[in-house]
Amino acid sequence: MAIQVQIPTPMREQAGGKAEVTVNGVTVQAALADLLRQFPALGPKLFDNGRLRPYVNVFVNDEDIRYLDEMNTPLSDGQTLALIPAVAGG
Amino acid sequence: MSASFDRLERYSRQMRFPAMGKAGQEKLLASRVTLCGCGALGTVLANTLVRAGVGFIRIVDRDFVEPSNLQRQVLFDESDVANNLPKAEAAATKLRQINSGVVVEPVVADIDRTNIEDLCRDVDLILDGSDNFEVRYLINDVAVKTGKPWVYGGAVGSQGMSMTIIPGETPCLRCVFEAAANPGDVGTCETAGVLGPTVSIVASFQAVEALKLLSGNAAAINRELLVIDVWENTHRRVKVAPLKGRKGECPCCAKRIFEWLDGAHGTQTTTLCGRNAVQVSHRTASAIDFEQLATTLKGSGTVSFNKFLLKFRLDETGDPYEFTVFPDGRAIIKGTSEPDKARALYARYVGH
Repeated sequence: MAIQVQIPTPMREQAGGKAEVTVNGVTVQAALADLLRQFPALGPKLFDNGRLRPYVNVFVNDEDIRYLDEMNTPLSDGQTLALIPAVAGG
Repeated sequence: MSASFDRLERYSRQMRFPAMGKAGQEKLLASRVTLCGCGALGTVLANTLVRAGVGFIRIVDRDFVEPSNLQRQVLFDESDVANNLPKAEAAATKLRQINSGVVVEPVVADIDRTNIEDLCRDVDLILDGSDNFEVRYLINDVAVKTGKPWVYGGAVGSQGMSMTIIPGETPCLRCVFEAAANPGDVGTCETAGVLGPTVSIVASFQAVEALKLLSGNAAAINRELLVIDVWENTHRRVKVAPLKGRKGECPCCAKRIFEWLDGAHGTQTTTLCGRNAVQVSHRTASAIDFEQLATTLKGSGTVSFNKFLLKFRLDETGDPYEFTVFPDGRAIIKGTSEPDKARALYARYVGH
């Protein structure tokens, strides 16, 4: 169950400089847990007291997990999980 | 000064575009817009809309033109820096030379919950040319409260984002991004840098959305979240339309609780008399991560911190500023006694 996780620029320092990381997991929850096992420094970037930070959105194949099954959204081999935080500047 | 050619001649190529036509152009000429912020996104938006023939544009900005703006803020030049002109005024002067048929109203002001409703009351559309989420959530509150459309744009580094909001029809900003980032958690153009083309592209997407909305072509708007990276050559529209009202839980568009307008979130300033300093209070949901903030700021000045406070010394265009940031998001900014300047510095370096 290989899932490609796309790491946004502001989080790459915590992900060993990588733009994309391969993780394993049958749900979004499991995939993110594997991501944090590989890169523990991403923890505070993504979560606050166990909850996803409210300005970071998670998309499975371009669909927002909040109208799917949130953290329980099932994943299948080869799918892409994108972490997309709000872009502030301008 | 008025143009010596037929009023509509200058728009002939735009009117030839079938969806616009003469009818669309006439609607555009009768339309009114408030532009919140006139920096990188704002100058591109104003330039495009004034050339396209919007009827009235109110340009609100709190800043003065500085040398570091000229790389990407397309309406400004060296003389504006030399003359220490407010951005709203400098932009208005240029825009009137570009198109004397458009009424341009510059407003030099810091947008906050006390003035935003007045600034947006008499317009058809609100455009986001700002550099921070406080203004964007205020715009979102006003737009949803009054049923006016608005267009979000954001740009940092090589990345950009845009989304068009029509209250009641599309998700609002809070449906998609529930809350603002804590200070220091997301990059700003000052800390992470920004490329001119990133902002030009994002603002151009915003501008075309404005043209659709103002010319009677709302059906053609982008109803998803546009996410681009001009360095990594990615361009995608992620699907957010089903988030509308987020199952009745969106505080803004579903529950109609306008937390930013009501002052439950946001920034307050207090001038510290006789100290040439301003205290900026920014309410945060959780304590600021000083290690993270220090990493973000180290490229822009000298940073040190302990568990109680973070000190940051910045040398911006010769004026030295010293920030003392506290874990609750409060900061004392030394080197200015002007609240607007302090809020601008806070937004740029600490961010929110």
